[in-house]
Amino acid sequence: MARYIFRRLLSLLPTLIGVAFVIFMFQRLIPGDPAVAMLGEHAAEENVARIREQLGLNRPLFLDREALQEGDIGGFFDSQFIRYLRRLAVLDLGTSIHRRIPVAETLMLRFPATVELALLAMFLAVFIGVPVGILSAARRNSALDGVTMVGSLVGVSMPIFWLGIMMIMLFAVYLQWLPSSGRLSHDVGLETITNFVLIDSVITGNMDAFVDGLKHLALPVIALATIPMAIIARMTRSSMLDVLQDDYIRTAHAKGVRESVVLGKHALKNAFLPVITVIGLQAGILLAGAVLTETIFAWPGIGKWIYDAILGRDYPIVQGGTLLIAFIFVFISLLVDVSYAYLDPRIRYD
Amino acid sequence: MTEISHDDIGVTDFAIREHRSLWIDAWRRLISNRTARIGMAVVAIFVLTTVFAHFFWEYDPRIDLDYSLKLKSPNLFPTEEVESIHPFGTDKLGRDIFRRVVHGGWNSLRVGLVAVGISLLIGGLFGLLAGFYESIGLSRSEKIFLRAVIGMILGALPAWIAGQFYQAILFAGLGVVAAVFDNFLVGKTTRVAFFGGIGLLIGGGLGLLVAPAVALVCGVLGIAIGAVLSLPLGGTFFSSTVMRGMDIILAFPGYLLAIAIVAFLGPGLEKGMIAIGIVGIPVYARITRASVLSVTQKEYILAAQSTGEGHARILFRHIFPNILSPLTVQSTMGLAGAILSAAALGFLGLGAIPPTPEWGAMLGDSYRYLASGAWWAVIFPGVAIMLSVLGFNLLGDGLRDALDPKM
Repeated sequence: MARYIFRRLLSLLPTLIGVAFVIFMFQRLIPGDPAVAMLGEHAAEENVARIREQLGLNRPLFLDREALQEGDIGGFFDSQFIRYLRRLAVLDLGTSIHRRIPVAETLMLRFPATVELALLAMFLAVFIGVPVGILSAARRNSALDGVTMVGSLVGVSMPIFWLGIMMIMLFAVYLQWLPSSGRLSHDVGLETITNFVLIDSVITGNMDAFVDGLKHLALPVIALATIPMAIIARMTRSSMLDVLQDDYIRTAHAKGVRESVVLGKHALKNAFLPVITVIGLQAGILLAGAVLTETIFAWPGIGKWIYDAILGRDYPIVQGGTLLIAFIFVFISLLVDVSYAYLDPRIRYD
Repeated sequence: MTEISHDDIGVTDFAIREHRSLWIDAWRRLISNRTARIGMAVVAIFVLTTVFAHFFWEYDPRIDLDYSLKLKSPNLFPTEEVESIHPFGTDKLGRDIFRRVVHGGWNSLRVGLVAVGISLLIGGLFGLLAGFYESIGLSRSEKIFLRAVIGMILGALPAWIAGQFYQAILFAGLGVVAAVFDNFLVGKTTRVAFFGGIGLLIGGGLGLLVAPAVALVCGVLGIAIGAVLSLPLGGTFFSSTVMRGMDIILAFPGYLLAIAIVAFLGPGLEKGMIAIGIVGIPVYARITRASVLSVTQKEYILAAQSTGEGHARILFRHIFPNILSPLTVQSTMGLAGAILSAAALGFLGLGAIPPTPEWGAMLGDSYRYLASGAWWAVIFPGVAIMLSVLGFNLLGDGLRDALDPKM
């Protein structure tokens, strides 16, 4: 198993370098001079020069041919791309153009907010989607099954940003039950330890902050959970339907095993593999969906940060945030593969 | 042998199945499916209204502006205050939302079709070739061609460094030699060493004409290129290279890559189409490859091969028609996804540039005025997005059932 994981990790390397390369090449997509694009047409000459220097825009893109022809092999490798890779190796994602702070530092600071949102949404999606999928498979063509199928189709087709807006309109503007933006109300103080609001409030025993944090989480979590919930319910249902036709299910029924045990123990265990793939895929899509959800709910995570950076043309932030999300997604996919091998002993390790 | 009629063997008419092609068969199954019928109806309404509106209902968003009608609620009959009829109300510039929703459909439809077209063409071609060569293998001439192309591409790097373009051609030639003398020097180590040595001669030797440092770097590159060319590069190599490239695009979850591309390119509907299209490429490549791999296991492909049919003919005459159904289903679902992604880009201000009517951009415009109670400015564009996406999803679901009765 350890060898399998190691080999899978090694095979990720080309993908990760490819991802880094794609993100590096984004800069080439900017029409005109990137330094001018970031600072605006009327930027001071020295500021443009500072940005050019900071981003290494004066250097060749990949390799310095002239340096090599003069015999300078070190200079040959001193290029924008290799500098970029060297910085990545020490987890340096560059510096924000406008705020002049390291991107990696702020990403780490804002990451817990996004993770808190995504994890809770994932829990909600799994804990509702999986049981609903099982029940509608067990009661195929019942009213519950019909509602699930229609509901999941509508859920899959739902633009989350629209759903978020509608929920704000209903629960925050008209009913005024829940807050529409931020992680905490202004009058609630909370000491920052892990930067997860729920964990911090439990550690410090601050119940007001816990309740307030939950209230702020409610709307964005529901908005974010809708699509994964629909997809997970659909997948669980169709996977269970496949398994329920198998002979060992009939055998279990014939032996007089209770239905709940047949469903939960015999069927679910075998039906769960495709569901896990979908859950892993959705975890990544949750991170990407955070850009929309966080924008609507003014949630101070990396999604909102990327959005603000896009508007402010602070490209290093966009690059750093995209890189972080893509890398996490690649590792989630690895985790799914490993859990496959763990859950199903028939899958070979090579 | 005399011809046997149905009467002779006692089979009555109703037991004889009329001859129907796959597509007519699928169509009958499709219209007998309730969800598919609903999907078709929604899609038909959506397509017809937007196309008619585009061609017969003139609308110029640049001059559409009337502050006296700012944020009026929907009215189906003229009132004293508002003399014109606005079934969906008006937005913050006094524009009729119904009109903009209907015209916005044209843009969504356009984005969807172009984006899916890009993904389908590029992804489908990659998947087709990858799947085909992975299972059938390369013919001798194709092997030579592939090796020459690899030699040319890899050789471009030392050629560029040394400023000698003919290096690339020499490396391409080395690829051809390696492919032609497939059985020369069977021992793996000696073969790698031999071709690596020739690579060193090409890169390092020619590099010496420029500068010693250039010769060093080009020599090292030459060894590596020679070694690669000496390896048995076949269909599996081609397929895994293509699919590895696809994995890189797949590493960006959801529409993150589209957002990032447009963030750097600058906003615009056309750029959004291209970005969404690029993001979709690996999905189609994977589906096509998987379908091709399953089709090439069939006996009729073996039969076609054994009768000596060429690769191109097998590919387009025997394989292509048999992978159309999964591609049709995926394209229909892909239209739904593309419309949703375009709306997301528009909502973030990265899609259509105002005042172009586009559903996502309309939502992004009006949700800031939510506190003023103008619910109509938010509800109708959103409903339009959801219904059109739902329509294509329903149709795709129905198509899958109709085209693949086994599922």
